[in-house]
Amino acid sequence: MNKRARRRIQNGALFVLLATLAVVANQILNVLHYRTPFFSGWFLFGLIVVLALYNVRKKLALIPVGTSAGWLQFHLYAGIMTSVVFALHVGLRIPDGVFERTLAVFYVATFTSGVAGLFLSRTFPARITSRGEEILFERIPVFLKQLRDDVEKVVFTCVEQTETTAIPELYLSHLKPFFEKPRNVFWHLVHSGRPRQRLLLEIRGQQRFLSESERKAVDQVTDRVRTKDDLDYQYALQGTLKVWLFIHIPLTYGLLVMSIFHGLAVYAYGGSY
Amino acid sequence: MAVSPSIPRPRRWDIPFCRESDSEREMTDEDVDRLMGQAPFSQIDPAGFKKTLPLRDILKNDARLVPFQEGDIVVRRGDWGNTAFFIISGSVRVEIEPPESAMPATMLGRTERPRQTMFQAIAQLWRNHHEPEFRSQAAQMDDRIGTRSAGESTRIFLQDVPAVLDQFRTATIDQGQWFGELAALGRTPRTATVFADGPCELLEIRWQGLRDIMRHDRDGDLRAYIEGVFRERALATFLRDEPLFQDLTAEQMRRLVQEVEFETYGNYDSPQPFRELAKLGAELNLSNEPFVARQSEYPNGIILIRSGLARLSEKHFNGHRTVGYLMPGQSYGFPEISQGWNCSSAVPLRYSLTAIGYLNVVIVPTIVVEQLLLETRAVRAPAAPAEAGLGHSQRSSSVAATTKKEVRIADHLLDFMVDHRFVQGTATMVIDLDRCTRCDDCVRACAATHDNNPRFIRHGPVHGQHMVANACLHCADPVCMIECPTGAIHRDQRDGLIVISEQTCIGCAQCANNCPYDAIRMVEIRDAKGQFIVDDKTSRPLMQATKCDLCQNLPGGPACQRACPHDALQRVDLTFFETVGDALQS
Repeated sequence: MNKRARRRIQNGALFVLLATLAVVANQILNVLHYRTPFFSGWFLFGLIVVLALYNVRKKLALIPVGTSAGWLQFHLYAGIMTSVVFALHVGLRIPDGVFERTLAVFYVATFTSGVAGLFLSRTFPARITSRGEEILFERIPVFLKQLRDDVEKVVFTCVEQTETTAIPELYLSHLKPFFEKPRNVFWHLVHSGRPRQRLLLEIRGQQRFLSESERKAVDQVTDRVRTKDDLDYQYALQGTLKVWLFIHIPLTYGLLVMSIFHGLAVYAYGGSY
Repeated sequence: MAVSPSIPRPRRWDIPFCRESDSEREMTDEDVDRLMGQAPFSQIDPAGFKKTLPLRDILKNDARLVPFQEGDIVVRRGDWGNTAFFIISGSVRVEIEPPESAMPATMLGRTERPRQTMFQAIAQLWRNHHEPEFRSQAAQMDDRIGTRSAGESTRIFLQDVPAVLDQFRTATIDQGQWFGELAALGRTPRTATVFADGPCELLEIRWQGLRDIMRHDRDGDLRAYIEGVFRERALATFLRDEPLFQDLTAEQMRRLVQEVEFETYGNYDSPQPFRELAKLGAELNLSNEPFVARQSEYPNGIILIRSGLARLSEKHFNGHRTVGYLMPGQSYGFPEISQGWNCSSAVPLRYSLTAIGYLNVVIVPTIVVEQLLLETRAVRAPAAPAEAGLGHSQRSSSVAATTKKEVRIADHLLDFMVDHRFVQGTATMVIDLDRCTRCDDCVRACAATHDNNPRFIRHGPVHGQHMVANACLHCADPVCMIECPTGAIHRDQRDGLIVISEQTCIGCAQCANNCPYDAIRMVEIRDAKGQFIVDDKTSRPLMQATKCDLCQNLPGGPACQRACPHDALQRVDLTFFETVGDALQS
């Protein structure tokens, strides 16, 4: 068994144990007629605060406060634990009132974005590695421009040599929009090669009308279409991996702020405990 | 059809040594005449040299005359040089203090960076300068040393030589003697610091020139002298450290030192041919590598790796398959010799041994092994060479039974690592791309800890899911240190890391050009206001070399590795073949 599998089993077992303890403790407190939402609420809030601290840890690279990987492991399991505590806190029902419902929606959105992030970060890297050249995300626009210039050069050269407009027409009708900017993001995310196949079919369909030298030019363009498609793939997946944090983190801060107001409201209007 | 551009074929002496950037003057014919008129060159028979490689031309192109002033540091302990020195006039002092009481690093123009405490690390959060690559213009050099310009280069000198002589034990090396030849020929670090004892003139000669003189010197006086010194000083020390010979008596050790042979294979001085080799692929690489020992042949002796890197391979269908590699301090051939001795019939070598790039080996002949180790003492060998595996490691001080199968590493991955010579790395940055989310937290962490500018690029050669990023590997055999004129790039005595001293880096870019892994970057340095610091004569921005220092002074280790949320980035010591498979698979 490798190190990571062992870690997963250990952390998973610990999580199950703590989640069971939380459920049992909630039941005991309930039986003893304590107002359990008070305890579960504070526990949930504490967990969310600790989870949010992970972002602070990321910015403190200088200070030896544990590895980021260790923090992420805690973040993942503590994040899942919040779902158990949240369920206990709301009693498995839809909360009353607009504010409480909004707060619940924020929690669910934050949790869901976290789970989505976990899914993305565990599945996308291998997909990125398996297709095309490894490219820094920030360099993709530079390569796109180079490809576009390259294709236009092939097209112009072909026009000069053959004095026909077949290739320029093909370029203007089908290829120019494709080479202008990253395309087919959605299709790449769902791992579909349909747009690429469609474009290549379009190009292949034109070949019967072309001369030998035009066909050679089209072959060169086809190579670049494939390269551009690979670049788009990298752009779509790498971009998504970068963007999802811009959803998860603002939601977390929103959740924190609303939780504070929720606590204040409970203490102001909730009566005695 | 396009016509390929043509240029004259580059030749060995297109750029003579005296025209390199840090030379002060050219070698003239008069200089060569003067040298040819004095010992030891006057005693060498020029007729022994090839017509295409005459002694005069060697001296003119591979040597240069260098004047030194009192206190000028000629070589520093720990520097890697590829030249030897002959004293033409005057004398020099060599420090003979043991390492623990030797001149401190700061006195040699290096930086000592103590490990930070937790509070110092926290304080760096607000003490970090907001401008990238900020350098204080006030020199923070040890006040016991100074710098002076010599031609186009900068030289470090000891300010108060008498005080140094009072404090540290030294010995004088007088006119007519050599020094630095062992490090030059063996590609090992300088073992002592040498500084000028008053004005003196030295002949500095490239190792290739020295090698050729030794090779063609008919009477062999110079060769005998160098070999004698090499055996007496370097070989004896090297062999004493070898676990196999540690139990030998003084008399046996003397015999061993006299009877061992030493050989050099491959290209010594430039990483450039290696870069080209790396592009060829494994099979072509193997066919270009000189054989040290061949599979199925009987061993001539134990091969001890002194410096460089060797590949172990076995025949596999019509090609060769890499099964491992040997680093300095490791050896090959003893199990076969021992097994042959035990069963009274010669046992052939199981693998071939080839030199990757450059290799310096010491060979202990089989007869010496039998007489000194097997006849006189019951040195237990492993049951069979097949079990003995690839050799034994001095570092692990045990006969390591390691084969590729046990190490669990794919053929192609091992080839990739060996072909690119990444196995030199003691802290190679390997990124598992199947786990890396390309979040760049590692890059940000590196920038936060190093003048707001990362010391590596998250990019580099990729093989399958593994990327070796362009970060300093902290090589076991650091070619970047060769030719540094001020010794600014050096191996830290405390932890063995390769670091650059900001105080003495003059921005010549020799290290960056020599690094085969593009791990050293030249940066423009800035003052506190963010303005580029410029050369007062040319007004061009001053550059300095920067590279990964493995967060040497930070508590907790390298920030890049600690910052990776997915355990994708690891700093791996690839010099330990035994652990490399586990490191790459985990």
